[in-house]
Amino acid sequence: MTAKTNDRGAAMWQMTLMGLRYLNGRRLRTVLTTLAIVFGVALIFTTNLALPSVVNTFKQSMTAMTGADITITRTSGESFTPDSVLPLISGVENVQAVTGLLRRQFNIPTLGDNAFGNSGQLELIGIDTTSAQNVRQFPMSEGRFLEEGETGAAIFPAGIADFAPQLTLDTRFPLITAGGLKLYTVVGFLAEQGSLSAPQIYVTLSDAQAAFNQEGLINTVEVSIDANADRSAVIAAIQQVLGSGYQMNAESNAAAAVGSIQIGLAIFNMLGALALFLGAFLIFNTFRTVVIERRHDLGMLRAVGATRRQITMMLVIESLIQGVVGTVIGLILGYLLAVGGFAAMGTIYKDYLNVTLPPIQVNLTALLLASGSGILTALLAGYLPARSAGKISPLEALRPSTVASVERAARWSLIVGIILAVLGVLLLLTGSKGAAAGAILFLVGMVVAAPGLVIPTARLFSPLLTLWFAREGDLARGNLVRQPSRAAITGSTLMIGLAVLVMAAALVTAFTALVEDLANVNFSSDILLTPQSVAIYNNVIGADETLANRLRALPEVETVGTLRYASSSAANGQALQVLGIDPNEYPQVASFDFTEGQAETAFAELGSGRNAILTSLAMSTLGLSVGDELVLDTAEGPQTYRVIAAANDILTFKVNAVFISQANLAADFHKAEDVLLMINLAPGADETAALANVQTIVNDYPQFTAQLTGEYRDTLVKTSAGAMYLFYVIAFLILIPAALGLLNTLTINILERTREIGVVRAVGGSRKQVRRMITAEALLLGIFGSAMGVLAGVAMSYGFIAAMGSIGWTVPYTFPLMGIIAAIVIGVMLALFTSILPARNATRLDIIRALQYE
Amino acid sequence: MSILHTESLTKVYGTADQPIYALNGMNLAVEQGEFLAIMGPSGSGKSTALYLMGGLEKPTSGKVWLRNSDMSVLNDDDLSKLRRQSLGFVFQFFNLIPVLSARENVAIPLILDGVPRPEALKRADESLSRVGLQDRGSHRPSELSGGQQQRAALARALVTKPDVVLADEPTGNLDSRSSDEVVQMLREAVDKWGQTIVLVTHDPRVAAHANRIVFLKDGKIVDENHLKGEGKAEQIREQLSKVALS
Ligand SMILES: Nc1ncnc2c1ncn2[C@@H]1O[C@H](COP(=O)(O)OP(=O)(O)OP(=O)(O)O)[C@@H](O)[C@H]1O
Ligand SMILES: [Mg+2]
Repeated sequence: MTAKTNDRGAAMWQMTLMGLRYLNGRRLRTVLTTLAIVFGVALIFTTNLALPSVVNTFKQSMTAMTGADITITRTSGESFTPDSVLPLISGVENVQAVTGLLRRQFNIPTLGDNAFGNSGQLELIGIDTTSAQNVRQFPMSEGRFLEEGETGAAIFPAGIADFAPQLTLDTRFPLITAGGLKLYTVVGFLAEQGSLSAPQIYVTLSDAQAAFNQEGLINTVEVSIDANADRSAVIAAIQQVLGSGYQMNAESNAAAAVGSIQIGLAIFNMLGALALFLGAFLIFNTFRTVVIERRHDLGMLRAVGATRRQITMMLVIESLIQGVVGTVIGLILGYLLAVGGFAAMGTIYKDYLNVTLPPIQVNLTALLLASGSGILTALLAGYLPARSAGKISPLEALRPSTVASVERAARWSLIVGIILAVLGVLLLLTGSKGAAAGAILFLVGMVVAAPGLVIPTARLFSPLLTLWFAREGDLARGNLVRQPSRAAITGSTLMIGLAVLVMAAALVTAFTALVEDLANVNFSSDILLTPQSVAIYNNVIGADETLANRLRALPEVETVGTLRYASSSAANGQALQVLGIDPNEYPQVASFDFTEGQAETAFAELGSGRNAILTSLAMSTLGLSVGDELVLDTAEGPQTYRVIAAANDILTFKVNAVFISQANLAADFHKAEDVLLMINLAPGADETAALANVQTIVNDYPQFTAQLTGEYRDTLVKTSAGAMYLFYVIAFLILIPAALGLLNTLTINILERTREIGVVRAVGGSRKQVRRMITAEALLLGIFGSAMGVLAGVAMSYGFIAAMGSIGWTVPYTFPLMGIIAAIVIGVMLALFTSILPARNATRLDIIRALQYE
Repeated sequence: MSILHTESLTKVYGTADQPIYALNGMNLAVEQGEFLAIMGPSGSGKSTALYLMGGLEKPTSGKVWLRNSDMSVLNDDDLSKLRRQSLGFVFQFFNLIPVLSARENVAIPLILDGVPRPEALKRADESLSRVGLQDRGSHRPSELSGGQQQRAALARALVTKPDVVLADEPTGNLDSRSSDEVVQMLREAVDKWGQTIVLVTHDPRVAAHANRIVFLKDGKIVDENHLKGEGKAEQIREQLSKVALS
């Protein structure tokens, strides 16, 4: 029995040793192949390290930290009236005490002498002084606790010293509120440390309600329970009486922000997967060569008694070694990338989103995902060649080289590939929903057809090659045609890289055009008051009506239209932004781009009854059309709205948003804060003078920035165009494994032909001729890959733009001419560039050594 | 009682309408402890016969018996096991794995069979010293001369003390001195340890060391020589050209 286990161990160990020696014997190739894994793993690891940290930061910044036994909020995070909720909870068995709070985390502008250090966020917590102390202890380290009903008094947790050491007892400091800047006095410090992510300030409930313009409302209930009670039973009982609109001890969802980061996570993961897919191509390619190269050794092993399984095992172990080494290096690289990326991105996040990024922490999921996919890729890619190695007959050891006929396989793959590609094109032409699938099908078809396309392409371009490189060109073509499947895999790698580039170019062109269109249509106002983060309003403290009214009183001002915000969810749990507009004023300062329903009647209908206009994205995510009903979760429970139109404006076209009237927002969501204000000036008014007057008023509301709309639009178009360039970054990242693939193939081709090159040199071929032959070969590969990449890129960009159209982002398709030119140039340059090293190696070959090479 | 025998062994290559009879009903019995040489013109089926006897290839018809067990009923895994336990091979080319040392090369059949590595390497060293390569164990094949490489291959073939060693022109690539060394080793294995050997060769001087020679032509045994008397090599040469011309 022990002998048996010994068996396996000894044989396995021998196989591993052999694998290592083979890998060591072809160091350059090993490095190149391993790099492919390194790259994919690094990308996946860095993505999954960095983005969840960002998500957590967002979530944490919204999370209520509390010393109470149970914390209850609405699922939407919005406020509610205490009278309807507190008595219900008090009635639950084992509930000892109950208190209502109004707490919110928000962005703070940099005030004159910033009172809160570097923190861009603050949490204001309004507590009912009497009942709060029944629920939990507030031990003080200094000063006194808040008194019932007092205004302008604040206490801080001890941890505030880390943010703002200058705050001591009796210090007075300004704070933004919906009613403008307000002064508070520090009356005490709590013994507890408090949140470490953002400073917390405790004020009386009435002060908080005033600050948020939410008279009489709370958004959090804290509960203490009897010492010996079963906490989960109490939670279940409370949930029972409150129903599904409430949640216990939840992290409030910063739905919009978190959602878009998660989309980013998905995109980058897909990118990593694509890189690994290309890596798999590379490994597969290399191992297939390895099997051919080593068939003598493998045959000999079989002759002296190795089983098929043992041979397969040996190659699998070899690819596993590369997978593991590549994965380890990839993990290290990924970690460094994440740390470096955070260091670089930290300031951007701070400035634009008011979020401080935490240090990178390695989490198990990221580790498992990255290393798992790296190792698995190596294994899968190595397995097929390893299996075919197992099938090598022992007699291979004894035969001189055999040239397998690939012609037949190539013809079949050509037929199948073309059928797939044609199906893909048909799907593309039917448009809308199937378009993306059609694009992918086309891509797959191209990959499948590639081996069959090598020979015709080589033939097509050979006159050019002959013209340029004379006889060396013919030699180069011969080399490619001899190994069409290897050329095909390399070509496919390049193709995918370039296709992504072409697609990126098309998307950037299309989106930039779209944003410009929307910007011109939407901002018909003259002056704009924007909060610190536009489109994500959770963290914004807006202004109450006094700001708008003061603006209206200015002689230059004709109309002020405002936007109000609440978060909500549909019956299926889909998070939604609810935006409140005034049906009369808003159309004057902004305009919607209607995709369904009537613009003329929509606003009138919005003002009467529970009617809603949805962004087309929301329409398609919820699967609604005009006339349908939409049940929204509100502070007053579920309310039914009727969908009257679909429309987009520039700030909402990429979010799930629902427009309702401000009257309904106040009634159903208890929200009356203006988060965005748009001003139309009276005819003939001087813009600059008007802006100066507006600025004077806005000085009292530092949460807003006043700008001429034209200026704002220009920066917006510029920033979003900048964001679009992310697509280019992605495309270039994908080109890295493509370049590795080229380098790998050219290197392998030369290694394989070492003896042949020796013969060419021995019979009088010059170094220059050898170099030209390799350059010509690279060029041919580059042309092949570029040609396929352009075709696939056009199909993919068309498919994705059509697919986007089907979810409501109607973007005109622009033929990505510049992208195509760029792709061709880059493809050919890449090929020439990657040929430099192999060509140099080949010309430096020692003739005698090369002739002896086996 | 013969240790290995074949029964109308036939191998056909090519297509149905253009069959090539590489071996055509060969009946051959190899005795325990015998040193048998197979000779014949190029293309007469010598290698084919050896491959079939070694289980490297399946016969079209006919059978190979090793120690009274029928090899044709074995599957690929059983054949592999048989090759590493009961047979030894020496070929003309590519005998050794270039990335392994001589010692490791010799140890391969043992290691594949599950002998713990230290023991396998010890036995490999013993086998190497039998062929006079005791101080070359750590060298890579590329660091050995052609003759040394073939001796290392022989050490590997002998390391498992197989029933039969099958050698296909092991000296085909060597100069006459190295060739002599290798044949001496083969002869020694037969004389000292009673090793059974089947050797394919073109070289009458090599064949002269055998106990018996069979001559193949067109896949059939056409003559035999029990090698008695003087001037063996000359006599073999004559017999060979007679076979070729017939
Ligand atoms: N794999 C194969 N496919 C087709 N024909 C084969 C194959 N192997 C051998 N043959 C043919 O079978 C015949 C016998 O070949 P074999 O290699 O056994 O000859 P041989 O006696 O070893 O010759 P040599 O002395 O040249 O090595 C030859 O005609 C050869 O062409
Ligand atoms: Mg032969």
